[in-house]
Amino acid sequence: MKRSDRITGVVILAAVALVVVFWIVMHRTPGTLAVVQVDGKVVATVDLTLREVQTLRITGVVGPLVIVADGKGSIRVAEATCPDQICVHTIPARSPGDQVICVPNHMVITIEGEGTGIDALAQ
Amino acid sequence: MRKAIAPIVALIVAGAGLATFFALRTSPEPVTSTYFLMDTVLTVKTTGGDAATINEHLHALASDVDSMTSYYKAESETVRVNAAAGKGSVSVSPEYAALVKAAVGVETIEHGRTFDIAISPVSSLWGFTTKDFRVPAAKEISDTLAYSHSDQLVISGTTVQLRDPRARIDLGGIAKGYSLDVMEEYLRTIKPQPRQVIVDFGGDLLLYSGGRKQDWKIGIRDPRGQGIIGYVRSGDAFVATSGDYERYFERDGKRYCHIIHPSTGYPGTLNQSATVITDIQPMHGAIGDALGKVFFCSPAETQRSLFQTVQGQGIVGVILVDAAGTQSTLGPITFVPTAAQ
Repeated sequence: MKRSDRITGVVILAAVALVVVFWIVMHRTPGTLAVVQVDGKVVATVDLTLREVQTLRITGVVGPLVIVADGKGSIRVAEATCPDQICVHTIPARSPGDQVICVPNHMVITIEGEGTGIDALAQ
Repeated sequence: MRKAIAPIVALIVAGAGLATFFALRTSPEPVTSTYFLMDTVLTVKTTGGDAATINEHLHALASDVDSMTSYYKAESETVRVNAAAGKGSVSVSPEYAALVKAAVGVETIEHGRTFDIAISPVSSLWGFTTKDFRVPAAKEISDTLAYSHSDQLVISGTTVQLRDPRARIDLGGIAKGYSLDVMEEYLRTIKPQPRQVIVDFGGDLLLYSGGRKQDWKIGIRDPRGQGIIGYVRSGDAFVATSGDYERYFERDGKRYCHIIHPSTGYPGTLNQSATVITDIQPMHGAIGDALGKVFFCSPAETQRSLFQTVQGQGIVGVILVDAAGTQSTLGPITFVPTAAQ
């Protein structure tokens, strides 16, 4: 094997390694941050990558809400003082774009991230 | 030494040029605002133009529609019409008269009578107006159905009248879509134009770019979970979804959703969701909203014949999930299911 061939080999390997690193960086596990808003203002952010149960107590427009991240990547409203309890019955959020909404409390939990690639969600 | 400097200078100049090029090319940051009205969430995401002001104005327009159409708010035109039921005709604004006419227009295009703004006394029986949910007796439903029909509605110019004193109208099934119409009308007049605006009004969408964007990617919500069942590509459009998963109650393991079939008086059970995409034309937001309920309450055969009827009137396509969870589409749209990606 010539010396130049060896250099070419190293260059190709380095290029492949670079592409792999980029690919991993670009495809990081999506949906790692939950943003909690009341009346359009961010009141808390929750890191969903932590492998521990996190309990959050916030105050909505009509009363307190208890928000629980389960340590497995999902977040939900565990307790709320709203009359309809729609937020408590909503399926826990885990993927980018997922939301849990409490209309009476003007509270929205949104999972941030670039995973879905959609512009808007019809629902 | 001199020779070594030349390429470095060339590099710096080239780098600065590239940086300027990319800086000029970068899109302006979108401004997202969230509001609460009509018992739901309004989220507006504007890119370009005076984004914050545009968002505030869009919210004000939606509030105006709420004040005009609300079933609950004192002094709304709906409350005035309902209060005068059985007594006489009420003079309404030309906009309100046009909206009621559009609603009745949707009622007449289909055969199965699956949308009716006068069904609200039956919705009230089920507790959907008070959130005091219950399953009414069959007799109660049939008695109430007798006067819960738009036959009770007399529209003449800009006067509206309900014949039976017990009759009521509720524009809740069309007001969100109509708000999107009003917003689109305003967006068209702005100078300079924003690059793009995404309005999400309780899941009903307006995608606006002044016709420049042809590749909007619209996710369709999974009616039985979080996340999406797939997406549709589209140009600027109104997108209205009717589903059984947002507002419903359960009794003895049975799900009762808020969309009442006007012919039976019972909640629709044939589908889990229906999403109607309409093009950007006056009143197509409102009509799409109403047609969402029509498709939601209709069986598959009727959905197909109905689509034949409305196709060419601005209805771009429909995405359906039936009661068994089977997905289907109507019209020349490309739906990419999540499983196929």
